[in-house]
Amino acid sequence: MANRAQIQTNNSALIAMIADEDTIVGLLMAGVGNVDLRRKTNYLIVDSKTTVKQIEDAFKEFSTREDIAIVLISQYVANMIRFLVDSYNKPIPAILEIPSKDHPYDPTQDSVLSRVKYLFSAESVASGRR
Amino acid sequence: MEEQEEATGFENEVRQVVGDEDVLRFMDSTDNYLTLFRFLIFYPSPAIARQSMGASRINGALLDHKSHSAATSVQVDQEDVDSMEAQPRFSLRKWALVADGKQCYEEQKLGEDKFPGKTGSLQLRHRGDSQLSEEKTSESGAQLDVDDQIQKERAKLLSMFGTLISPKLRAAQLSFETALETLVEIANMRSAMLSSFDRVRKELDHQKDDMESVPSGRL
Repeated sequence: MANRAQIQTNNSALIAMIADEDTIVGLLMAGVGNVDLRRKTNYLIVDSKTTVKQIEDAFKEFSTREDIAIVLISQYVANMIRFLVDSYNKPIPAILEIPSKDHPYDPTQDSVLSRVKYLFSAESVASGRR
Repeated sequence: MEEQEEATGFENEVRQVVGDEDVLRFMDSTDNYLTLFRFLIFYPSPAIARQSMGASRINGALLDHKSHSAATSVQVDQEDVDSMEAQPRFSLRKWALVADGKQCYEEQKLGEDKFPGKTGSLQLRHRGDSQLSEEKTSESGAQLDVDDQIQKERAKLLSMFGTLISPKLRAAQLSFETALETLVEIANMRSAMLSSFDRVRKELDHQKDDMESVPSGRL
């Protein structure tokens, strides 16, 4: 959490997405879609053919790109790469786990809340020992 | 909800060691983070419009991978909380293709919408001022301009689907725009939550070190 922000402040940055087709199409209609000259997009559509490796690669790419400020990832997709999402701890880009049509948001699976809960539990156990 | 209850349980324990302010800030941001997710609605889904307009027409137009830049982006500012911890603050730049001045107005308008209490109190303070009516006229004029621009940008994005657009698609566009605003607020709450949590944890670590540094003979 104390890591330095990669992104230059006061500049406009992109919102990246890793989600199902409906969510991506909706967000593209809201104007967040970006395709650069090398045809590199700021989104990955996850369907039955998408492999975990592709999701991992997209997550790694979006979370390290300097022009991205927020990464939206469907929670059920985040569950497929939970180890990666949970180990991410930088403030920018902010990783948000979002609900999708068939998968409502579950706070118990949210990586940020889990981290907070885990550290508080560890703290309370430590203080109990003292 | 469970998270909130559990967090409340921790509160009493931590408040004995750390200052109330930090704990309250952390609890507040956690509560807001969870509450905002309840307002996050992604419907009507574009899937409904896909039935009436055809899947290839919608997906083909949107996902054609032609080079274009995002019309809606995010601005990041670093915010100092009591000059101790830097905390990034995100603000949405909706339809950023709008001219710079209008763009600023749009950002400002969005900010005011989020905090209606603040603007209300300002208006009350200036009631009766002769300049108020002039300011209101120019503001409403600027607002109309911005609204026109936004409508144009929205229409431009939808025009890629052809001239006859399903009303369901228009409704889906608006609903996702609103969801995007909520998501940016959630990102801000996340950043506030992590920042305040960091402070609480540092305080706890500090207290722990102090306890350990006290010679055992004194205890």
